Amino acid sequence: MSAQFDFSTLPKLRVPLLVMSPRRVLADILSRGWVENAVPFLAFVCVIVGVLATTKGYFTLDNLRNLALYASDGGLVVLALFIVVAAGGIDLSVGSNFAMSAFAALYCFHILNLPVAAVLLASLATGAIIGLVNGALAGLAGCGALLTTLGAMITVRGIFTLASQGQLVAISTSSRTDEMWDWIGSDRFLTVPISFWVLVIAVAGVLVMFRQSRFGWHVLAAGGNRKAARHGGIHVKATIFFAYVLAGLIVGLAAFLYAARENAVASDTGVGMEFFALTALVVGLGGFVPGRGSTVAVMIGFATIYILNNALLNSGLRSDFVQLAMGAILIFILSIDTKFRKHKHRLLASAYVDPIDFKLGEAAGSRGFMPSEVAPKLAGAEILASGMIDGPEDVILDADDHLYCGTRNGSLVRIAAPDYTQVEIFAQIGGRPLGLASDREGNILVCVAGMGLVRVSKEREVELLTDQTQRSLLTIQDDTTIRMADDLDVAPDGVIYFSDATRRYDIENWGLDLLEGRPNGRLLSYDPKTRRTRTVCDNLVFPNGVCLTHDGQHLIVASTWTCSLLIFDLAALSAGPRVFVHGLPGYPDNVNRASDGGYWIALAGMRNPVTDLAMRHPGLRRRMTRAVAPTHWLFGNLNIGGVLKIDGAGQIVETYWDEPSGPLYMITSMREHKGALYLGGVTNNKIGRLRLAGADPRWTGRRSYWGRG
Amino acid sequence: MRFWGNRRAPPSMTLEGVLGPNDRLDEARGMKVDSPDALSAAADGRLLFSSGRSLFALRKWGEPPQSFAEFERPVTALCASPGGLVAVGMLGGGLAVCDASGRPMRGWKTSPGLTAAADAVFLAEDELAVVDHGYKPDEPLLSLAPWDGVSRGKLIAVRRDGESRVIANGFHCPMGVSLDPRGELLVTEFERARIVDGSGKARQTGYPGYLGRLRKTATGYVMACLARRDPLIEFLKTERSFIEAMKANIAPRYWIAPRINPEFSPDFPIELGATRLFGEIKPWAPSFSYGLVIELSEALAPIGSAHSRANGRRHAISDALVWNGALLAVSKASGELLNLGCARDAP
Repeated sequence: MSAQFDFSTLPKLRVPLLVMSPRRVLADILSRGWVENAVPFLAFVCVIVGVLATTKGYFTLDNLRNLALYASDGGLVVLALFIVVAAGGIDLSVGSNFAMSAFAALYCFHILNLPVAAVLLASLATGAIIGLVNGALAGLAGCGALLTTLGAMITVRGIFTLASQGQLVAISTSSRTDEMWDWIGSDRFLTVPISFWVLVIAVAGVLVMFRQSRFGWHVLAAGGNRKAARHGGIHVKATIFFAYVLAGLIVGLAAFLYAARENAVASDTGVGMEFFALTALVVGLGGFVPGRGSTVAVMIGFATIYILNNALLNSGLRSDFVQLAMGAILIFILSIDTKFRKHKHRLLASAYVDPIDFKLGEAAGSRGFMPSEVAPKLAGAEILASGMIDGPEDVILDADDHLYCGTRNGSLVRIAAPDYTQVEIFAQIGGRPLGLASDREGNILVCVAGMGLVRVSKEREVELLTDQTQRSLLTIQDDTTIRMADDLDVAPDGVIYFSDATRRYDIENWGLDLLEGRPNGRLLSYDPKTRRTRTVCDNLVFPNGVCLTHDGQHLIVASTWTCSLLIFDLAALSAGPRVFVHGLPGYPDNVNRASDGGYWIALAGMRNPVTDLAMRHPGLRRRMTRAVAPTHWLFGNLNIGGVLKIDGAGQIVETYWDEPSGPLYMITSMREHKGALYLGGVTNNKIGRLRLAGADPRWTGRRSYWGRG
Repeated sequence: MRFWGNRRAPPSMTLEGVLGPNDRLDEARGMKVDSPDALSAAADGRLLFSSGRSLFALRKWGEPPQSFAEFERPVTALCASPGGLVAVGMLGGGLAVCDASGRPMRGWKTSPGLTAAADAVFLAEDELAVVDHGYKPDEPLLSLAPWDGVSRGKLIAVRRDGESRVIANGFHCPMGVSLDPRGELLVTEFERARIVDGSGKARQTGYPGYLGRLRKTATGYVMACLARRDPLIEFLKTERSFIEAMKANIAPRYWIAPRINPEFSPDFPIELGATRLFGEIKPWAPSFSYGLVIELSEALAPIGSAHSRANGRRHAISDALVWNGALLAVSKASGELLNLGCARDAP
């Protein structure tokens, strides 16, 4: 047995509780979906602030109530138009429909003396019938939405004028009163006008429809891409038809509320309403965008236009000047919004990488062991399965000496003993299989980047054990998903400890994590008994290899960019890690047990003075990621790697290097098995096998862990 | 897109069109030469090439070279006159002029106060122009020049009567000198990747390589490049504080810089795209060393090129010329004299 470490004397590592920076907050916000509505919302806030600053007493309770009283007319019509636009159509007839439905309501109430419920039905029916005609022509028959609804606008306006001419006087002179009618028209509930409540309920209804209902999703799908929706099995024509009908219904509702409040219609009722509604919609959605169901954004757009219009008129400006000012303000808002949307992803890309000053301690303990100082022992290794595998990040052997490794195309392959010339796909997993481990039953546990933790049974069944953990405290980005599960090991009680190397970058962009140098990774655990995943330690710097110590009581975790190995006490995981080995000459990848009580460390690449210096210059790295193409980014040397052997106390005792241009250049993993060392590399297409002189020829990893195999 | 700041974008360094990649240098016939550097075609039709302290003459490709002359220090510059004179610049800035048989000529100044003689050209039978890049023998030029703001290079004229005069100062690491058809001087600047005239005025800029020597051919010029111009190096030139720290704390041999040899070493960083896949360097990978010869028109516009790409080994081309209708080049990395075969302007 080689030397032992004393956990209590190792230096503690201070793990930050929170990793936050202004740039990261910005990037995280920009990557959220709701940021799409940022400009409409800001415009709304600006309008409110502008009105507050210029108009005294605008936001008094009385005026707010007054605003709320009239809000339902425009608000509901905007909502109606929104549904049609979301379905990929347009409805220019909303204004005419509004007037016609209002007239129908008044006619039923004042002339026919129908009860209020019947009046409501009549109003809704009128709206729905106009919607039905629009839907039938534009949706079912496939006539153009613009032409159809333009025709409907003119026709319905004509019918309205004809029908209302003779009745206007009769309606205005009617003396019928009704408690219900007046309550709807002018009363309040909880100090807010009834009509406004109706608007709120309608908005909530549409919101739920677009978010939760099948019909709402179909509408968005049809609007977003008609062809794709049809191919997806959606009845596109019927969906569009019903969208028009629903829109007509909502306009009918708005007209009913209007009729109950005003008790009158005029020849110009609803004229220009379609343009008001379109404007509000465009401001809210940031353009004429079919297939988007942002109800809240549309309502913010409506509120902006409504209040702006109202405040300008209230301030006593001439109406033509109000129009001019509105137009200018809208163009301004829209131009900013369009620019923002267009460049949002660029802003995100330039803000996402957020490097810090990263001080790497001096290399220690490797003097006399460097490639220039020792013979290249790996040059004597045999090459197995050359050209038959793609990217064996980790290698493992089973009880029958078969060799397993993951490949870049997402499979776990088996290379059959004893000659290791036959390669077969053992299981197709998907993702990018990285670290491997064997549990007590002989199943192979695989860390899969982009997927999580996977178990492959001896019968070749693939089971996803976990792909999520707890969300970290105080994060804007949802980090529950395990992004880059890297390596793992199994404790004697069966709990699987595995590393999620970085939750900010995918496997294709892991290099950016070095350039950033922030603690973006975490150590997780999965208990097969409770099937629970837990974050053991958050905010580690690229935690990579995971290895249980020989006594089964501690866990070694390689922290790649810090060139060090951390160690956890399994009995006191919450106490955090200590530094087991620091100042390694390269970037440690996987760590595994050696037969003599020491450990093998794979070096994926070598650190060098220039890269270490660049890590002290965060601004340089940030500018480089923006100004220089990724292929030209300054990076640690990944073309040379090797294997370090440390004793049980963490001292380097041996190093293994290949010739500078040799085939075993970037070593990401090694396993000792029956007196030989098997070597894998994530960018290699071969596995190396080095006979170890003096190593126990019966020792295997399985026997070391589970006492058998 | 940048929302603020006006940092100047690094120059474009793509190799396309006539500069598009090929394997001409790697496919060329080669002749092993011990530490070769400079080439010249002598008046009698022989090819002269330097090998360390020696000068060899070659009558015909494939024949064994004959020793032409031996000098005290390694040869760093070589040129021949139409009249049969051969001038040699040596490490440390010494000069020597020989006649057609390799015997030293008297009268010429042998130490005209140069720090280094990078290249020379005969202005007349009795006058020689020599460029001096200004780096001492113990200063690694390739490492230093990219990060050196000082223009220490100069162009001097040396006469047979022993006199010398400075034609112009203020060149940034000049590596080659040549005459254009009107008899005006052209100087290549290594790190600025441009050709200037005798007064230092730019004649052509924006070449994709770190320039070596320039030689006149029948239809234009042929220009050797010591390395390919690298976007990372060009970007780092704008990062002053990092470069200051690099100069102050790290030995020059570890610096980011153009290199002679395509070597794997744990001491050097790489560019991310240079990562080996399946053990192989991709030919299109970025590399700090590269083999590049650019053929230029009379107007100094590129009209052809020969490459040894990232996975090749014939890097660091220090000299190239057309001899007997064939394009020849010197690779310092592989220590070879290369024959690329029929030159563009060959009959």
